[in-house]
Amino acid sequence: MMHQKILSGTLTALTDRDAHLRLDGLTKRYGDTDAVAALNLNVPKGELVALLGPSGCGKTTTLRMIAGLITPSGGRIVVGGSDITRMPVYKRDMGLVFQSYALFPHMTVAKNVAFGLEMRGVPKPEIERRVTEALAMVRLESLAGRKPRELSGGQQQRVALARALVIRPSILLLDEPLSNLDAKLRDEMRNEIRDIQQKLGITAVFVTHDQVEALSMCDKVVVMKGGKLEQVGTPVDVYERPETPFVASFVGRTNRLEGAARGDGTVSVGGATLRVPGRPNGPVEIMMRPHRVRLADVDASPAGEGTNRLDGRLTRVTFVGDLLQYHVDVNGAELIVEAASDHGRFFRAVGTPVTLSWRIEDTMVFRRAA
Amino acid sequence: MSVAVAESVIPVPRPALGRVGTATLLLLPIALVNAVGFLLPVLNLLRMSFNEALSGGGIRETFTLANWVGLAGDSFYLELILNSVVVSLTITALTLVLSYPIALYLHRSSGRWRTFLTVLVISPLLTSAVVRTYGWIALLADQGPITSAIAALGFAPPRLMFNTTGVVIGLVEILMPYMILSLLAGFGRLDPRVEEAAMTLGARPVKTFWRVVLPLTLPGIALGCLLCFVLAVSSFITPKLLGGGRVFLLATEIYDQAIVTLNWPLASTLSILVLVIFGAALAVYARILRAID
Amino acid sequence: METNQTSLPMKILVALLFLFLLAPVILVVPISFSGEQILSFPPQSWSLRWYIALAQNSAIISAFWTSLMLGAIVTVLSLAAAIPAAYVIVRMRTMGSGFLYNLFTAPLLLPTIVLGLAILIVFASAGFLGSFWGLVIGHLVITLPYALRVLATTLGNLPLACEEAASTLGGRPFTVFRRVTLPMMAPGIVAATALCFLVSFDEVVITLFLTGPRLTTLPVELFHHVESRADPLVASVSVLLILLTLGVVMIVDRTVGLSKTFVK
Repeated sequence: MMHQKILSGTLTALTDRDAHLRLDGLTKRYGDTDAVAALNLNVPKGELVALLGPSGCGKTTTLRMIAGLITPSGGRIVVGGSDITRMPVYKRDMGLVFQSYALFPHMTVAKNVAFGLEMRGVPKPEIERRVTEALAMVRLESLAGRKPRELSGGQQQRVALARALVIRPSILLLDEPLSNLDAKLRDEMRNEIRDIQQKLGITAVFVTHDQVEALSMCDKVVVMKGGKLEQVGTPVDVYERPETPFVASFVGRTNRLEGAARGDGTVSVGGATLRVPGRPNGPVEIMMRPHRVRLADVDASPAGEGTNRLDGRLTRVTFVGDLLQYHVDVNGAELIVEAASDHGRFFRAVGTPVTLSWRIEDTMVFRRAA
Repeated sequence: MSVAVAESVIPVPRPALGRVGTATLLLLPIALVNAVGFLLPVLNLLRMSFNEALSGGGIRETFTLANWVGLAGDSFYLELILNSVVVSLTITALTLVLSYPIALYLHRSSGRWRTFLTVLVISPLLTSAVVRTYGWIALLADQGPITSAIAALGFAPPRLMFNTTGVVIGLVEILMPYMILSLLAGFGRLDPRVEEAAMTLGARPVKTFWRVVLPLTLPGIALGCLLCFVLAVSSFITPKLLGGGRVFLLATEIYDQAIVTLNWPLASTLSILVLVIFGAALAVYARILRAID
Repeated sequence: METNQTSLPMKILVALLFLFLLAPVILVVPISFSGEQILSFPPQSWSLRWYIALAQNSAIISAFWTSLMLGAIVTVLSLAAAIPAAYVIVRMRTMGSGFLYNLFTAPLLLPTIVLGLAILIVFASAGFLGSFWGLVIGHLVITLPYALRVLATTLGNLPLACEEAASTLGGRPFTVFRRVTLPMMAPGIVAATALCFLVSFDEVVITLFLTGPRLTTLPVELFHHVESRADPLVASVSVLLILLTLGVVMIVDRTVGLSKTFVK
């Protein structure tokens, strides 16, 4: 017992010292509603952290408070050990990349990138050197003399990135930077941003509503809802071990069933009994990922060790290219099973009775208000 | 009228002044002009209409309804007011009739041709009313081209200037750009496909116009009429020059009372009356808009 | 160019209406080259005598310079007052921005004859009549609302993100305004400049109330001239005025586009 306490104490101390950005009870109130409610967050140096959530969850408000564009109603923002909560935006040293890029339309690409350096009174020759360097980093040296309107969306995005990075900010802030790009370019920029961030070892906060971006790019994912933290963890954590039903359904697709847990590791769902990890009691909701569920012909033999099984009827099959989605009616609830599409061949015709099975450890169970 | 207001605000640091202090300082010049050149004079005008005018331009500070009662009991002024309203309504109606075809044509044209025609419509707006009225004096003069042409056709040459006819002709032309622009703004609702639809349903062009085009353009018509009426009631330059002192309207009377007779209380009372007519026109307009909807 | 819905009679009608609309402006051009003593159309003889007469008319020339000076000063002051006002109303959003905007543009709703009289009465007791600076204030009353309207609309349509980006990059508020906001407002500023100058340069009614025997502007001088006698002198002035307006309009059209500026 004693030992454990000391250990956890040490751990806290460690994280605190390592935290480059720390939010302490950060709050933003508009009238009666809290856009951001008492947010606590530590971001270690050099990490890329995603703030993930649906629109209105407070992720952008949080980012703008860190940048200094919105004054918090309460709480503290600490960067590198010093409190910057009341520091005006122009003294903060944050590199912010906007969703709309916000390039200065009346300045050339080079002038855009040089702006932050000029504001800092950097000598001219050094400005030139650093601008060239920054443009080289985003592979835009040849377009230095262009005006923003002469650039494609992806190029504008890279100028915005260079402009934010050239000042060597203490933190790089990215506000949905990829949402205005088409799908292919988005994949490209995702890798490019991640590569640059890791090469520079810069601490970065990335706001997005797209779970794929958050999972694929970031060291840590912060899932937000209604101004509050739902879960903080690695991409694998939030996907495989969601702590709330919201996280489970927002990060990745889920099937959902309601049931009553008996306290012995089993849950009654409709007429069937499912086994779940842990020993919850009372009303629960059960979730499982569509691609973790297997589809088979009806099988009367008892379920194998470590497996849950439900019988249903195939109601619809949807072909989405790389995947086939089977919609199965299980006692009035619709569950979805995803399987790799095999040259468009369907498993069975619509109307066929089928059996669904999945592993017990793939069953996510959450307490549900009665 | 509304201003797009920014979604969030760049925090301005709090130096010596603070946010409100900075804002106040920046607004000070425009506020001063507004106070000295607008608020104070207009309030004073209201006050002045309750003062007593003495002979020879004197004014006694008091509170009397004499100016208002005097107006109501003087047949000259009652006729003047009625005349102003009737002339303005006539002008509005004529302006509408003459502007509608131009606006409709403009609405149906496109590209550089439309830009060119729009510039033609706007350009008179940028030309001084004095210059345009002067042009009408040349056209409508007794020996001018129009009267001469009528005489050449064997009719008795009419008097077109220094009477109400001249004022109406001049003002109609001067107000046409306003009407055309208002109509055009209202024509936004008029999709050419609607007309085409009506015709494919078997409506002849004339019928299409009365049953489809006109009803759709009513809001633009109402706006244009409001604007023209209001401008006509308060117009001064054209009635003064083309009326040659023989046409008595509200605006010319305000000027004469203020500059020639030096009866400021009466001039103020007439001015307030113009504002009251404005208010009435606006109320009618609001009612018409509601009826259209 | 145009749709085939327009029939020939309609085209002829529209052409005639355009002729009516433009007749008085077009007419002054031939009249200005009249050789006649009095105003007549068409003139019996042609000459440049009225341009020569104009060059020798010191009253009109001095009125022209007064108008030019007045227009320039009023324009500069309008911009100087309206730019910060637009910034406060649109960007800073302190107390009652909407109310302030409506209050500051309210003079446009009043007829100039009423506004002119109202200003006359107040200025008379302040001894401002017939003074140049009295005229400046009188003109500012109507140019400021125009300038504010154009500039506030321009600023309201600008993306706020650019200014935010500049401040995160280390620009202090005034630097952000000077380096980013102001340059991005350029089209609105050009439009407001042209509008203020033309409104001031053409203003007659309010000016009529405020000018005195020793100080008069060109439109007022022309007004009195037309009122008292009919000769082609005014036509020659008018032609020059139309050319001046055309010049201003062309500059605006080159920079921001005409319809954006004058069609609201």
